[in-house]
Amino acid sequence: MALHLNLLHEQIFEQRQRQRDPLKIGIMLLAGCGALLFLYYGWNAYRTIQTKVRQSAVERDWAKIELAVTAAQKRAAELTGMINTLRVLDTYIDNRFLWAPFLEKISLCVAPNAQLTAIEGAVQEDNKGVTANIEGVAAAREPRSAAEDFRQMLLEQLGQNYRDVKVEFKALEDVESTTKIDGMAMPMAHYIIAVTFTLNSVPKPGPLPLRSKQKNESS
Amino acid sequence: MSLPSLNQDQIKKMILSGFGFVFLLYIYFTFFLGPLNKSRQAAQAAIADVQHKIDTSKGEMAKTANLERQAKDMTAHFTALKALNPEGAPIAWFPPRIKGFFADQQIDKVMARLEGTTSFKEAELPGWTKYDWLIDLPRTDYASLGQAIAALENREPLLCIRKLNIHLTAQEPQFQQVTIAATTAIEKR
Repeated sequence: MALHLNLLHEQIFEQRQRQRDPLKIGIMLLAGCGALLFLYYGWNAYRTIQTKVRQSAVERDWAKIELAVTAAQKRAAELTGMINTLRVLDTYIDNRFLWAPFLEKISLCVAPNAQLTAIEGAVQEDNKGVTANIEGVAAAREPRSAAEDFRQMLLEQLGQNYRDVKVEFKALEDVESTTKIDGMAMPMAHYIIAVTFTLNSVPKPGPLPLRSKQKNESS
Repeated sequence: MSLPSLNQDQIKKMILSGFGFVFLLYIYFTFFLGPLNKSRQAAQAAIADVQHKIDTSKGEMAKTANLERQAKDMTAHFTALKALNPEGAPIAWFPPRIKGFFADQQIDKVMARLEGTTSFKEAELPGWTKYDWLIDLPRTDYASLGQAIAALENREPLLCIRKLNIHLTAQEPQFQQVTIAATTAIEKR
């Protein structure tokens, strides 16, 4: 084996030592990491700017429609309030007890030999029912029968429009005096009839009292 | 490749460099990247919020337009109901109006007086008040009364008769004396 002398051994060794200098390697590593971090930061900054730009655009869009939306919301609230108010008012109107049809029904029941002297009626608090006292006199050979006929008729007539109708005598008594019907003296009976009923269907306002009622009452 | 042997000074430098590196990473994440990400996240949240508002508002506007179409008739009806009652204190205009109404029905000398006022129990009617009135009709006949009441109930939908008393007048049995207790719903103005 030939003897090989490397006269540059020391120089090469020093060069290798310099290349493997940990400080230098560390600085290079740091510089590399720094560059990566810088790039990563740049990427994030770019994304943030993009997001900000999008945010500005969206806010501009919102600013354009915000006034209209606020006005629409206000109007919707107004309309909803109005609709709710109207619904309650309509219920109030529909739940009213209409007295004209009731008076008409009574007038239809009054025979020529009967006369009413007082009607006192009231609607119950919850608007579900009505109570009334009807006072009058009936004249006939059998005045109590005439009063009973009136009660029956009233029961039948009111039953057509109202529910749970009760028509009962609170008082029924003979009266001493008599009255003349067709020239004949007839005994009389005084009665008080209590009427109660609940409202079945709501009769719509409209019909005026019939002419026959006027006839009945004028007799 | 074997690691070169490090002397004391180099080891010290490496440790210090390591600390410095960690410190720099901390600074980087805490004071640079952190705020940046936070700012971006805040912007994204703001975008989502505004976008939600925009989406909702579109629905809201469509709903309002729809409501407006539906409420067209109701608005007219509501305006008509409100127009039934003139402005001013009801005590000033209601009694003359009732008197005039019954006079038109050939029933004279009608007196209407205010009994009291109450608020509606319904939450939907905060701006409305119930006025209780007592209306005296000293002399009328049953037929005219029936017609007048029918007309009154038709013309005044917000008027509700609570009590009705009809009595014969002592001097003229063909006529009746009538008392009507009525309630009207009137908007506060």
